[in-house]
Amino acid sequence: MDLSREAVVEGLRAIAGADNVVTERHVLEESSIDRFRMFEGLHGLYTQPLPAAVVMARSTEMIADVLRFANEHGVNVVPRTGQTATEGGLETAVPDSIVLDGSGLDRILAIDEYDMQATCQCGVPLQALEDRVRELGLTTGHSPQSKPLAHLGGLTATRSIGQFSTLYGGIEDMVVGLEAVFPDGTVCRIKNVPRRAVGPDIRHIVIGNEGALCFITEVTVKLFPYLPRNNVFLGYTVDTMEHGFEVLREVMVSGYRPSVARLYDPADGAYHFAHFLPEGLSILIFLAEGPAGVAAATAAGIDDIVAARPECEKVDGRYIETWFADLNWGPDKIAAEREQILQTGNINRTTEVAAGWSAINGIYENAVRRILAEIPDMTMVGGHSSHSYVNGTNMYFNYFYNVVDCGPEGEVTKYHTPINRIICEETLRGGGAIVHHHGLGKARTPWTRDEYGTSYHMLETMKRAFDPNGIMNKGTIIPA
Amino acid sequence: MRILVCCKVTPDFEALRESEWAAGAGSESEARVETRFTPRVLNCFDEAALETALRLSDQLAARGEEAALAALSVGGQETEPFLATLRALGFERTVRVSPGADLDFRPAATAALIAAAARYLGGGELILLGDRAGPGDGGTVPFRVAEELGRPCLSRVTDVEAPADGRLRVGWTADDGLRRATISRPCILAVGNAVVAHLRVPTLGDRLVVRHHVTEVLSPADLGVDLETAAAAGTCSLMGLDPVDRSRQAELIVGDTSRDRARAVYDAYVRKALEET
Repeated sequence: MDLSREAVVEGLRAIAGADNVVTERHVLEESSIDRFRMFEGLHGLYTQPLPAAVVMARSTEMIADVLRFANEHGVNVVPRTGQTATEGGLETAVPDSIVLDGSGLDRILAIDEYDMQATCQCGVPLQALEDRVRELGLTTGHSPQSKPLAHLGGLTATRSIGQFSTLYGGIEDMVVGLEAVFPDGTVCRIKNVPRRAVGPDIRHIVIGNEGALCFITEVTVKLFPYLPRNNVFLGYTVDTMEHGFEVLREVMVSGYRPSVARLYDPADGAYHFAHFLPEGLSILIFLAEGPAGVAAATAAGIDDIVAARPECEKVDGRYIETWFADLNWGPDKIAAEREQILQTGNINRTTEVAAGWSAINGIYENAVRRILAEIPDMTMVGGHSSHSYVNGTNMYFNYFYNVVDCGPEGEVTKYHTPINRIICEETLRGGGAIVHHHGLGKARTPWTRDEYGTSYHMLETMKRAFDPNGIMNKGTIIPA
Repeated sequence: MRILVCCKVTPDFEALRESEWAAGAGSESEARVETRFTPRVLNCFDEAALETALRLSDQLAARGEEAALAALSVGGQETEPFLATLRALGFERTVRVSPGADLDFRPAATAALIAAAARYLGGGELILLGDRAGPGDGGTVPFRVAEELGRPCLSRVTDVEAPADGRLRVGWTADDGLRRATISRPCILAVGNAVVAHLRVPTLGDRLVVRHHVTEVLSPADLGVDLETAAAAGTCSLMGLDPVDRSRQAELIVGDTSRDRARAVYDAYVRKALEET
């Protein structure tokens, strides 16, 4: 970088106006991390380099101007919208970075009920879009736990997935077109079409780029009919995870598409369902939805599959329906979590991976066994599968530990990173993917090369081509 | 010091949807909120009482004194996972009174069972409990227990310290603010909005150590309590439910610059508030 911190701020004020350039220290501190270093932040400790400023973007043109300025002077830029990232993707790894915030670009630009798609600026909260389209009897079909907080730009940038993915797919199946700005200020628009065969699908250069290639300014997503009156909630206890995975596989391979297909191990199950789940059992959860005939047939088909498994027992679907209604995370739960962590020193972390049906149970068992053997102070280790495909599923490891005998800054190095290492090692050993839907961020980049293998060449080449000066979110996806 | 903490496992009322509350708002004979399918949690005030006991135990241990911790709950099988957690945290004895009947809105019967169980457990020099539990709770149980046992009771307790003189330094919320009192044992403290409200979490290793320990389960008959007779001293009924109006008004502050928006807020609200004061 050829500019001083003061010169960066001065340049940004000239571009964006002083009102849109925030330099208050507490804002810079909070903008230097995301939920990956939440424990440090809760204790008022900030170990990452502070950015020079947060720029509240007001237009695509302003974003282009800021990126052009940063590119010219070699200033690192961290794009963000809803700030719900969990893997360090929003950390400012380089001193005097620019945090480019798109949350002010919050207009829903169009809702097309005939072509069944909605166009939004990057800072539209998913909840706001969902609320709006539900008034029209429609849904985005996208419902991550972060729905009340996350914005369309960030969800697209991290290859988000929602709780109803088995029916509606991940964000990559929903985004039909978009607008993105590249480091040299070039604004690219990908038009909204159902499908095309005009070379590689360039949407996928943008979707999941985690701010390491470009800034997403606008997204168009598909819409679907919203038919909750037809929902059928199903739940079954199952004796082992291995048998549970077999049931999930059979449901998927048989061609059923419930919107929710989940399997919780005994530990994670006890955390959520202790009010009805017998100790030591796992639990399968399904939600059949869609037109009445489809929902009913899906539920009946799943019921038939499970009925043939003596190791499964049906539970009242109202348990599942009640639980599901309280699953999402809004500001209230974030505030409660903060108090709980500060008072108890106990923190919940997650690591999500994916693998084929033949490998997933081995990955799950090996990782849990190693975490229990190698990591101290664990208070819970478990997990669930929550997104299934015809060829495999994900595993969402869910774990808690007490942070003891180290300062807040030691939490990541003593606990979280070693656990991530175990899970990534076991996943790679099983031939799986080390991240399913949170993004690589900076937390899991030590394993990026192993994850990509020979295809790392393509990733590196893409980074060099679109971001030759390396100003986009340094240390994210590509190891620093 | 022998410390007995009474705790109750309740439905997680926060997890109930508005429609589920509305469905319970029937006539006198029908009014009842369906909570069968709702996850269970420790009553938050009891949770604070449990952590208060553990902190007292830590204080005593730091100067070489011992605390014997016992936990008591009146409830069904759903209470067991919570009692197992308490054992892992250092509660040497966990007792569950299985009433075999619905005790909702029957505080006198609940208090009679708690008092009888406390006597069964040797009284306890300090009895801690939450000063109320969940929506609809009248908050009378601590005082009824105190009356049954003939002990002094202080409610709305926020924190407790155990100085070396054997007495207790207790913080509590009075109508006019926070107060501190020095109290002799034996006594009953009903914990309200505590300074530390969350219960610490045992490690899996802690759980392993006590995995073979079990809850002592007692019936009302074991304690010599006739529920119907006890309940006659105080029973309430759910007459109906009215939703609390949580609607708020909002006004969008607009302006081209921060200065313009700040000016709009000042003109619309701050100036008026200043004039009124």
